[in-house]
Amino acid sequence: MALTIEVTQGDIHVTLTLSGDVDTKTAPELLSKLTALELNALEQLRLDLQQVEFVSSAGLRAIVFAKQKMPHTSSLYLIGASEQIVETITKTGLAQAVVIVESVEEI
Amino acid sequence: MDLERIDNLPTDTLSGFRVRPGKPLPFGVSSVPGGLNFSVYTSAGTSCTLVLFSRSEEAPLGEIRIPDHYRIGDVYSIVVYDLDYEDVEYGFRIDGPFSPEEGHRFNPENVLMDPYARVLSGREEWGVEPDWSKQYQYRSRVAFDDFDWEGDSPLEINDADLVIYEMHVRSFTKSETSGVKFKGTYAGITEKIPYLQELGVNAVELMPVFEFDEFENSRIHPDTGERLFNYWGYSTVAFFAPKAGFAASGKFGMQVDEFKQLVKELHKAGIEVILDVVFNHTAEGNERGPSISFKGLDNKIYYMLTPEGYYFNFSGTGNTLNCNNPVVRNLVLDCLRYWASEYHIDGFRFDLASILGRDPWGAPLSNPPLLESLAFDPILSSCKLIAEAWDAGGLYQVGTFPAFGRWSEWNGKYRDTARKYLKGDEGQVGEMAQRVQGSPDLYQWNGRSPATSINFITCHDGFTLADLVSFNHKHNEANGENNCDGGDDNHSWNCGAEGWTDDIGIRNLRTKQSMNALSMLMTSRGTPMVLMGDEFGRSQHGNNNAYCIDSPISWVDWSLLESNSILYKFTQALISFRHQHPCLRVNRFDHGGSKSLPSCSFHGTTPWQVNWSADSRQLAWLMTCDQEDSGIMDAVYVATNMAHYATWFDLPEIPSDYSWQLCFNTGDSQSPYLNPPPTFNDHGILVGERSVVIFQVSPRET
Repeated sequence: MALTIEVTQGDIHVTLTLSGDVDTKTAPELLSKLTALELNALEQLRLDLQQVEFVSSAGLRAIVFAKQKMPHTSSLYLIGASEQIVETITKTGLAQAVVIVESVEEI
Repeated sequence: MDLERIDNLPTDTLSGFRVRPGKPLPFGVSSVPGGLNFSVYTSAGTSCTLVLFSRSEEAPLGEIRIPDHYRIGDVYSIVVYDLDYEDVEYGFRIDGPFSPEEGHRFNPENVLMDPYARVLSGREEWGVEPDWSKQYQYRSRVAFDDFDWEGDSPLEINDADLVIYEMHVRSFTKSETSGVKFKGTYAGITEKIPYLQELGVNAVELMPVFEFDEFENSRIHPDTGERLFNYWGYSTVAFFAPKAGFAASGKFGMQVDEFKQLVKELHKAGIEVILDVVFNHTAEGNERGPSISFKGLDNKIYYMLTPEGYYFNFSGTGNTLNCNNPVVRNLVLDCLRYWASEYHIDGFRFDLASILGRDPWGAPLSNPPLLESLAFDPILSSCKLIAEAWDAGGLYQVGTFPAFGRWSEWNGKYRDTARKYLKGDEGQVGEMAQRVQGSPDLYQWNGRSPATSINFITCHDGFTLADLVSFNHKHNEANGENNCDGGDDNHSWNCGAEGWTDDIGIRNLRTKQSMNALSMLMTSRGTPMVLMGDEFGRSQHGNNNAYCIDSPISWVDWSLLESNSILYKFTQALISFRHQHPCLRVNRFDHGGSKSLPSCSFHGTTPWQVNWSADSRQLAWLMTCDQEDSGIMDAVYVATNMAHYATWFDLPEIPSDYSWQLCFNTGDSQSPYLNPPPTFNDHGILVGERSVVIFQVSPRET
């Protein structure tokens, strides 16, 4: 399934709204959208995953990459990730790099 | 002026790929700016082709014959640019002579796995039969170092303070009764960490986790129709890759992260991670086995061969890795360094380690270079190195393993003596006294310490503790070899009936014997190791060699935790007792003891007088030290009566400002452990038939 990524700029945050699957083939698109941001000065990044069913290891690495580029004090929110995605993130130890929320209201 | 560096730019285009000559070290694949560096060794190969795949595609993405001028010595290396790190998989084709009688088995038709591959695809899910028509079964992939360790590092707990818990990754949580979400996986163990903490162990020893093939020698049981696996995995495919089928995230290719997460969480809980590693042989078998990697890369270098080119079989499994060849030695060293640095592993237990001390023709070396290299390696300097100090070729080196002051040993003599003494065999008291104090007969003369001895009564190999007290004979029918496999020297006693019984007397005796065994183990000097589930009576129904069984026979049945809760709580109390008493963990044979009592003394029914005769079945030991901070004496007295009648033991005299407290009495089935321990003012105690009592001292309140 193809991936579309919509980027919206907030006051202190950027939101990427993803729709489709982040697999080995589409993960580079996510990575290039992320690298296009000024990550080293970004206080808050929100990835809206409500329309995403599957994130491959390559997709997760792109997320880790973004977090490592961002300032240490910054936060990276994953919004509305499916149970399977949350499980994979948890058992592979990526959970402490991100904040998992169900909806944008929780931020 | 800022000049752009040009030393990382491609110099050639080959088969459509931009490339340049690579760096010969490190072996395997490594990241360089803009590309990946591939490096592989072959001394007798005549050409090398790098084969690249896209992850989801069967056919290669491309093949690059590495030009001869890219070869330095016996190493071919190449940098390839513009590859998608996430997607690329690779292997090698090596051309050269096919002449088995000279030791060469080259076949350029085969794509070979990188012996340094850090991640493999092809066996992502446990027990899913692979497509055997594919020639390239285990595809090498690229691993990443981006795991967030959150400041973790190996724990470096003193050897003498360890309590090791041996487990099989899948068996530990595969059963429905485990109650975990990710059953039979690394993540499943992570879920059980609170349990391990509650039990009190501070190290887990994982049976093999290097990628192996559960389908190696897999077969169908002739009578039951059940599939039998290479379940334990003592047959390595890839020394640098964690087994994907043990990871819940294996199908996403994230086994590396899941395993690191397990290590990190165990460390947070104060628990070390020791890996059971198998360097004595590989999964390639003998002449009839598959050519996965080493056979096609440089058969003659990696394996011990007879003059006719056949495989030596000191491991009992088909081939023998040529560990004291310098090239192979470096592979082993690189492997362990990688696991210690990249995975924060705390220690290694070497399967059939005596093989590692044989020369290329199989003769035992007096000063084996591999063992010496490992002992003095700067990266491994605080790793535990534990030898299974024997091999299947008849070399038995318990007490004489070339230790270089660093190696500890699975003490097979501890196991055998404790078992014989436990069941009331004649003539065991003298040897038991040696075992209890850390086996000075084996380790003192050569300047080693009590913690050189890994004390155990059960391990994966042989009966579980519950089976040791329930079976006189092995019952291995489920293994499909007509009960011919597995050892016959079990030194076990069924307590009156073979296997399951509803006789309450026999059942109670079995529980008591289990408690007796654990009591001796936890009050001996040296490092104790317990087998998973023994703390609540795990049974394999008399199977003493369940190496091929992926079924509830092997899986830990967690419902026993409730039904045998008294044994569990007893074990938990014992482990806690060991942690509380430094006198049990003294790690010197020349230790002076406390101000008024020796470090370790032996007693009989009368203090200071042991009946050492063959028909004696009573032995007591008193261990003492002065606590470092307070100077208060720490002392533990253990009286064991393995006779079938109760026996009175007078307690040894202690200074008048101390009193005895009774902590454990396995003869008291209602309350075998006492918390808080009551002060004991009598001068002696009647120790029940086949029972153990344990006392501690406490300063009298003034």
